This record gives sequence, structure tokens and C-alpha cells, in this order.
Amino acid sequence: MSKKFDISNIAKLASVSLSDDEKQKLSSDLSVILEHVQALSNLELDTNIEDVYIHPLEKELVLDEDIEKPSLTHDEALSNAPKASDGKFMVPPSLE
Amino acid sequence: MNLKPTIGIETHIELNTNTKMFCRCKVVDTEDPNISLCPTCIGLPGALPVPNEKAIRYITLLALATGCAITKKGMFHRKNYFYPDLPKNYQISQFDLPVGENGKLEIVIDNEKDYVEIERVHMEEDTGKSSHEGTGRIDSATSTSLDFNRSGVPLVEIVTKPVIQSSKVAVAYIEELRQLAIDLDISEGKLEKGNLRFDANISVAPSKSDELGTKVEIKNMNSLRSLERAIDYEIKRQSSAIENGESIIQETRHWDESKETTTSMRSKEGSADYRYFSDPDLPNMVLSDKFVNQVKESLPSLPHENRNKLVETGLDLSDSNVLSKSEKWILELYFKVFDNTKDSKATFNWITGELQGQMRKLEIKSLPEWFSPNFLSDIIQLIDANKISFTSGKVILEELIQKDTTPDDVAKKLNLYQENDESAISKIVNEVIKNNQDIVERIKNGEDKLVGFMVGQIIKSSGGSINPGIAKEILSKELNL
Amino acid sequence: MELLNLSIRELNKLFVNKKAKPSELYSEIFDRSASSEAALHAHLSLFEETNLEKAKNSDERFSNSENVGLLDGIPLAIKDNINIKNEKTTCSSKMLSNFVSPYNATVISKLDTEQAIYTGKTNLDEFAMGSSTENSAFGLTRNPWNTDYVPGGSSGGSAASVASRSSIAALGSDTGGSIRQPASFCGLVGFKPTYGTVSRYGLVAFASSLDQIGPISKSVDDARIIYSSISGHDSLDSTSINDEQIDLPFDKNATIGIVKELMEDGISEESKKEVDKVIDILKQKGYNIKEVSLPLIKLSISIYYLIAPAECSANLARFDGVRYGLRVDGKTSYEMMENTRAEGFGDEVKRRILLGTYALSAGYYDEYYGKALRARKKMVDEFSSIFKECDYLISPTTPTEAFKAGEKTSNPLEMYMSDLCTIPANLAGLPAISIPTGLSSNNLPLGVQIMSKPLTDNSLLNFSEMLEKELDFNRTPEDWSK
Repeated sequence: MSKKFDISNIAKLASVSLSDDEKQKLSSDLSVILEHVQALSNLELDTNIEDVYIHPLEKELVLDEDIEKPSLTHDEALSNAPKASDGKFMVPPSLE
Repeated sequence: MNLKPTIGIETHIELNTNTKMFCRCKVVDTEDPNISLCPTCIGLPGALPVPNEKAIRYITLLALATGCAITKKGMFHRKNYFYPDLPKNYQISQFDLPVGENGKLEIVIDNEKDYVEIERVHMEEDTGKSSHEGTGRIDSATSTSLDFNRSGVPLVEIVTKPVIQSSKVAVAYIEELRQLAIDLDISEGKLEKGNLRFDANISVAPSKSDELGTKVEIKNMNSLRSLERAIDYEIKRQSSAIENGESIIQETRHWDESKETTTSMRSKEGSADYRYFSDPDLPNMVLSDKFVNQVKESLPSLPHENRNKLVETGLDLSDSNVLSKSEKWILELYFKVFDNTKDSKATFNWITGELQGQMRKLEIKSLPEWFSPNFLSDIIQLIDANKISFTSGKVILEELIQKDTTPDDVAKKLNLYQENDESAISKIVNEVIKNNQDIVERIKNGEDKLVGFMVGQIIKSSGGSINPGIAKEILSKELNL
Repeated sequence: MELLNLSIRELNKLFVNKKAKPSELYSEIFDRSASSEAALHAHLSLFEETNLEKAKNSDERFSNSENVGLLDGIPLAIKDNINIKNEKTTCSSKMLSNFVSPYNATVISKLDTEQAIYTGKTNLDEFAMGSSTENSAFGLTRNPWNTDYVPGGSSGGSAASVASRSSIAALGSDTGGSIRQPASFCGLVGFKPTYGTVSRYGLVAFASSLDQIGPISKSVDDARIIYSSISGHDSLDSTSINDEQIDLPFDKNATIGIVKELMEDGISEESKKEVDKVIDILKQKGYNIKEVSLPLIKLSISIYYLIAPAECSANLARFDGVRYGLRVDGKTSYEMMENTRAEGFGDEVKRRILLGTYALSAGYYDEYYGKALRARKKMVDEFSSIFKECDYLISPTTPTEAFKAGEKTSNPLEMYMSDLCTIPANLAGLPAISIPTGLSSNNLPLGVQIMSKPLTDNSLLNFSEMLEKELDFNRTPEDWSK
């Protein structure tokens, strides 16, 4: 029971533009992989999601003290900027 | 058609911690762009998040202060969407295990208490700031510039349940929340600086219906005034539409301050798929009982508690509300002065009316060091005992704000003490009657308005301060009026 | 030629006794890379300039008999997904081909205090996604044992460098086997530490809950020395742990388990024979051997190929042309991001990003990602139970020897299946090591994997070293120089 998925929608969510050829190839690749993982989807598990820890060793988060640590200089931060002006990163207009 | 509006409000509060939420870059307030950055807050490859203990403490304070249940074993989630001011193109937030849930906030509306229920309080990080260059309007910009100083600043998001039913309540709620954040000392609460930002979700449905209508999100309200107007406008818009048989589209609309309307934002349709999942870089956050109790013990006096204390002194709810939202020193001053005068109304009026009025006129923001609460209680008590007039009290106050002296000294210097002794006043009255027989005759013949003239003469001949009320009484008695 | 085959400890002894100098070693290394790089393309960049200076400084420290560490003056190759300040970190991707890092990964800061030398950055599968290094945007790397074959991946460049002696040892990263598999394909030791014992700060994230940095080296002792330098709690990494190591016996008091499901179909006979070889040695020495079963292992690939792509889809979202890296313009910033990511990412990366995006998308979370998380937890619990009865688990490292370049690139699933033996250790956060055991009939290296429970890294290394001595695998590749 494989699911039908909308490769265009997924590409949009992932912000990657794909050519029609790519869409076709990736669509079929994903189908093959998803079919393989179906065995997992069909597995009955008695483990509750509430019991799942994020850390594989089931460690807890340690909170850090609110004390300043050295950071990047302005120039270092912008050193790889594809486009910058007046100390700001520049991009084409972003609609809200 | 009887329609009722339902409003829910989402508020973001910037915490005034020293460093950012997931890195130890300093939180800065500057026009200088991109000066407080590190690999983590600009999303460099290989960077990792480390949470700020104080921010967690602050959000726990807020959650406890609003009576929320605290989530003992919580986690952070990634909220995935692409936008240039979001360095990682996901925001670290909380999805289904927020720090606090199911609380409420007391507000005062029309001299009565009410509550706004809170759905959740959760922790997240702020984005950078975009500026759109070009003509200034978003949809005709030529480019966008980005400043990431704000990226990663700790934000608390508070979401109410959809229980608000008017713009008035919405405004009261924000004012209360703002004051709470200030009293907890977790935020400066300056709306104009963006310390506190809010969006509203509004729907309209028939009054008799149990279901809510289609909700519309309204963004870009930058002040309480815009909040009020935007809500009112949107309720009207939706109501008209429904009455005309049109359906409401679920969308996000933008409040246009200049046009005073909400407009559709064409880029968004329906609801976004944020693909929330637990952030693998941040293990489960377990808040121990010890931690929560520590935070609970550190809770200061909250606005509604202050109101209760004020009401106990005899103030009504409305006035108590005003004081609970004033600066701390005003509240402290009130209690100190009340302690002496035991007159809540007078204390309230003198502080919020005269004192603040004079400070505004003199353009000062805080009282001088020498100003003691006793000055005010003295003035109030002197007036109460008829030793000085109300007007004299104002004069004395004005002096005390500007000079390091005492009420007594000022009253003496400016000769403001009133003579209240009846026999002393009688003497003067009779003296004046003797010297103004012609006026007395005219009064006896019906020219009542000359009584005022006589009182004036009495006051003049006394050298300034005798109790005018008593003088008039004695005069009337002497003349058999 | 002599210095290049020595271990770290042997080299250090020569330096301390003034029988050799770090600059001499570096000279040999550099000369070797001049020839090996042309044939193998293990490195993407070499740091000759800074290294001559560093080697000289190292010479001085030794000549002044200063108190120095074992790694002083030792040339290490660094996988190009680990940030070194002021050097490029490309992750073998067009997306980052011009990215010069402004900061050091924590492991680099640590190695800096040891005064190690970095030969340069090595080739990898793009963003560490792959098992052959064929997914690099800058050309593939060849296996020094036979240049028609892949060195493995994703840390193929690091493995090829160490095997061809253009470095003494190397750092790689392992998410599903990316240290162990190339080590096995290249006849080397590859060690993936317990999750959280080595900081990930500065390692370009692929799958955050699975990634670990570790050494690829000629011997277990070299791996041990490097591990001891790079491990330790890091306050810059919230997944980094502070725990003490747990000691296990590594003499015959230890119990050895053979994982049934990793000795079944899909595993070549030759690979199984190497495990048998190791078992025989252990039996002779009096170890207690038992067969153990972990049925869930059969689903490891499915679990992994839901968790890893999901995490990577979010980890790679930051690559958008806004603040660094490649930018392909567009009329709007959204268009710019879409175009940049279309051109910057290779096919395998796109495949995994889309798979991950789908697995997390609305309506599918519970069925895919949510299910995978729960299955993983169950696997962690099952391993816990097994480690109550066994100290070390032995399995093949890979189902087969190295494969030819181009052989597996048409079918993504086929490539994924070769990770069967290595993936479980990443899912459960276990320490795991691959040691070379012999050569196949094709004269390609074969290896065996040993795993133990979390935080037993030191014991695992001790146990592996004992085996290493017994196995006495002393072969070096010569093919590439022909």
C-alpha cells in the first residue's frame, strides 16, 4: 500500500526547484525507498512516543549560564556574504 | 442576524536576558547592524544550540505567574519554513510540550474583574530583522537587507484560548500581560521597541451557534490603538460579509495603519506545513521540582495581587488597576503615604493627579532624592485638618518637587497656614463689619452677592490665611443671613 | 619511506630521542601526497604553507626537550565537513565551494592544543551522504588497494589518505558507517565513538542524533591516542556528555556475542569467513562465545533512512545563498533560495532532503518519522538487554569487499543496503570499531566490526588491540603507485 505523493509540493516545502526530468527521477526513487520502508510502517510497536528520548543515551538537557562568550567580529560574520551593503546582508526582495 | 466575535491573541515577549536563547552572544539594542553574531545565531555549517538558563527561569516565572501547569519533561521542536531572516530556515520552538499550559490572566474591565484564559506559554528564538529597500512598500521593494543582531533573542510566546469577545478586553489583556512582564522583571515591555508584539485571530459566528467561525489572523498591529482599531474593523468586515451571505476565507491579513483597514496578504493561502519534529540537538528539558519551587519562591508581587492590596486600602477596582499599571515607585509611594493618611482616595488623587501632573509640567521623570513620602502625607493631613487650603497644598507640592525643604517650612515661608480659631476669626469679622457698614446695609437689603466681597475683605485684612469657610459662616451668623 | 609506516607512538619516540624530526616526517608526507594525490584524489586541499611553519615549530619544541604531547608534529588529514578556521569547508559540495570558515570545530581546537599538523581537507560524499565518495561534487576518490574501486564513504578521502600514507592518521565522521566502512575497504582501523563523547560543534551536521567524529588510522593504538585528544564534554554541544567511562573486561572473562541477523543473507561468504577467523582466535584464547539475536536489526535500514533524511532535511535548510556559500540569483529571495539549492546540491543530497521533507510532512509524521523514533527506542532497549549477557558483539563491517566505481550508483537502495552492519551502532549510540582482518580473493581488504555498550570506548579499544595483535594484518596497498 504505497502512498501517492506530490513531488512538486515536497520540492516547494524543501525550497528546491526541480526540472521535470528531476521530478520524474526523484519521484520514482522515493517510491522505491518508501516501498522498502513500508515494512517498518506496518510494524506493530508497543513503545510509546512519550517514552522516546531525543538523546540516544537518554540524557537530559543542561542549561547554560547567561554569561556572554566571545563571538564573531562584524567582518568575520559577513566574510562569506554573497552580497552585502552598509554592514547588512542583501537579498532580492522577500515578500512577507 | 445576531453575530458574536471570538478573538484569540498570540503575544511574543522579548526577554531581557544578557545573552541570546541558544548562544551566548550579547543581546544588543543598537542601530549598528550585525555586530553581535556567532556561528550559531547566523546558522553557519556545524553550529549548535545551547540553551540559556535565565531564559528558562524567566519563562517559568511567567508560566507560574499566570497559573499555568508546568511541563516537567518538555522538549524543543524545529519549526521548519524558509525565510531570509531565519538563518537556519527553521526556528527552534516548542510544539506539543510547552513550558506552561492552561493558565489565566486577571484583567479589570469597567470596574469589574474578568479573566482571559491562556492556552500555552512556550519558549522560542527570535529572527533577524528585514528591511525592504526601494519605495518602502513590501510589494514594490527592490531588495531586502538583513540584520541578524536580533536573531536568537529569547522569545516567550503566549497564546490565549479563543475567549476574548471585544477589542476592549483585548487591549486590557495586553496591558495586563505587559505589566506582568515588567513586574516580573523579565522584559522592558516597550511596545515601540518591539519588546512585546501581538497578532490576533478573529472569527465571527451566530450568537446562538456553538461553533466558531472561520478564523482570520491579523498581523502588523504595532500599538494598542492599532490593536483596538484592527479588531473593530475586522469584526465589522467579517460581520458584513456574513450578513451578505459571503464566506470568510481562512487567511492572514495585514493591518494597514494609514488606511485603517486589514488587507489580504496574497502570498499565504491556507495553513503552512511546519513539519515540527523534536530538535535532535537539544535533549529533553527536565525541570526539577527543586527548580520550579525555587522559581516560585522568587515570584514578586504580581499586578493582580497589588490590586487586591490596593482594594483593601479602600480604593475601587478601577483606580487600583491604574496604580497596578504605574511605575513601581508610584505604587510604593501610594502605600507609604496611605500608611500615614489612611485616606485612599485622597492619596490616589494627589499621586495620580497633582504629583504626576506637576512632574509632567516640569518635565521630570523621577522624584528628587530629598522627596519623602511624608511630604505628601503631611500635605494631605494638613488639608484634612483645615490647616491649609487645597490650593495651598498644590503650591507646597510644587515647591517641594523643586527645592529640598519641608511642607512646614514652605507653609510658613509663604504664609499658607490657615487661621481656624473661631474667636480669632470673629474678631476680624466684626472689625470688618464695623468698617463696612454701608455694604452691610446693602446686604441686609438683599444684595447677596456682596457677601463674597465681605469675605474677601475679611481675608485681606487678616493678612492672607484664614479659613474662608469659617469666616463666611461667622459673617452669615453676625448678619443673621 | 620509513617514517610513513610508523605509528604515532613510534614517531613520537623518535622525535623525543632526536632520531628524527617532525619536519622530516612532514617532508615525506608531502612528497608522498605529490604522487598519491594525482592517482587517488584523497585530498581536496593541502595546507603546505602553514605546515612548513608548524613543522619547524614542532622541531624546536622537540629539540628543546619541551614537554610535548604524542600528537605534536603528527600530520593528520581532516575530512572536509569539519571546520578549520580560515580554511575552506566545502563538504564536497558546490554549495560551499567558496566557504571559508571563520571558526574552529571543537575537535580542531583540541588538536591545536596538542600541536598536531593538518595535511589538508579530505574528499567525502557530498554532505557525508553516501557510501563510496562518488557523490562528491569535486570528483571521486580511488581506493589505494585498487584504483578501479571505491575507497568507501562517506569518509573515503580520509581513508585513502591514510592507506596511501599521505597522512599518519585522519579524522572522519560516521552517521551510518562512514568511518568504519571506508576503513574496512582500505585495510585500516576506523573507530566511531559512543555518541556524545566527541563534540559535534563544528562538524557540519548531517543527522544530528547519529553523527560522530572519529579516527581512521593504521592501528588501534593510533585511534586510541586521537580519541583521547578529541573526546571530552563540550559546553558548546548540548548533546555532548560528561560521563565517566565504564570498564569491561577484555581478557577471556569477556563474553563475545555474534549477531545472528548480521551473518545471514546479504553478507558475502568472504565477509562471514573473516568473522569466523576472529571467532576462532577468541575461542582458542578461551573466550566465551554465544549467538545473540536482535530481530529489529533487519529493519535498521528503514529506521535509518527515515530518521537521517528527516534530520538532514532540516540541517541542510540553512544552505540558501543568503549569508554564505553559493548564490544563484532570482527575482525574489524565495526564487533565489530555490535556484541556489537546485544548483548547489547533488542528486543524492536532493534525494535525501526530499525524502526527509516528506517523512515529516503533515499527515505522514506518525507513520514514518514517529514510527522510526519508536522503533529506534525499542532497538536501544534490545541492545541494552543483550549487553547484559555480552560484553562485545562481533559482526562483519560490510556485507562485501569494496565495489567498483560506478557499480552501485544507479540504484540508491542498493547502496543503502550495504550499510546494514554499521547502522545499528549509530541508531543506539554504541561505540563501534572496524579492524582489518585479511584480504579477499580480489586482494581487497576485509574487516570485522566490534561493538560494545555505550561509554565502554576504552575497553573496546583495548579488546580490539588484543585482536589486532593476534590478526597481525600487516599489508599495505601498492596498487596506486603503479
